[in-house]
Amino acid sequence: MLALIYFIIFALIAVGSALCVFLSKHPLYGAISLIVTMLSLAGIYGLLGSPFVGVMQVMVYAGAIMMLLAFVIMVLNGANDNRTPRFDKVSLFVFPALVVMALLIAFAFFRAQLGFDSMAVKGTVAISAGTLFDTQNFGYYLLVEAVGLLLLSAMATAVILARKEIGSKPENENSEEVH
Amino acid sequence: MELQAMYIQVLALILLIIGLATVLSRRNVFFILMGIELALNAVNLSIIGFSKTFAAAASVTGQIIPLFTIAVAAAEACVGLAVIILIVRNQHSVDIDNYSNMRG
Repeated sequence: MLALIYFIIFALIAVGSALCVFLSKHPLYGAISLIVTMLSLAGIYGLLGSPFVGVMQVMVYAGAIMMLLAFVIMVLNGANDNRTPRFDKVSLFVFPALVVMALLIAFAFFRAQLGFDSMAVKGTVAISAGTLFDTQNFGYYLLVEAVGLLLLSAMATAVILARKEIGSKPENENSEEVH
Repeated sequence: MELQAMYIQVLALILLIIGLATVLSRRNVFFILMGIELALNAVNLSIIGFSKTFAAAASVTGQIIPLFTIAVAAAEACVGLAVIILIVRNQHSVDIDNYSNMRG
């Protein structure tokens, strides 16, 4: 009963701030609303018995990714031409399609008989990290290494994409290269 | 009246639809990226909710997979923001309707 009350509180916060992302005018307000959504989702993960994923959600998603997004919004002044209407005539076709898709998925959900298994393991830090970093059995150790390579290549791609021409001079000598 | 597994899936479905609506109807490029992140969060929540419907070993696997999803989302946000910086520097606009001429 108490779990249901906490779930309803977290779910209302998550859906409300997701609607704020959908409806807000300035991208920075949307980013802050999205951080609130991610934090309440981390609370739901903890409530379901996966605190390790909740901690990773707070650290990586709310901490790293959204900080990077808010930083880029502030650098590029993401609201400088926001004069175009938020909803145009394409939205008239988008929203019914999404509603129909939601109804189809909900129909599939309510046909399936879902229920919590009482034998499900609580994903504590010891169990999750022990399974993830297990070097004795195969485990997920090689996948963690592959994720490290993926992040390295993504960082190299971002550096190559976001710089100006390779080997180009700055436009005037007084301009300060900040990247 | 207890917490059912269905409620979590319904919440994930609502968040996924809001994220997709944000991607498809907004014209600011940052809102499109945030909609993608919101949809990814909804998928993570759905995976966690489904993992709790399995017994011992399968439920641990279901709680490991979202960690890799989060890592891939970090890489996606990294490259996506680099592309946005490049396009905004060339076009001087964050409106995706101005990006429709793919020249140079």
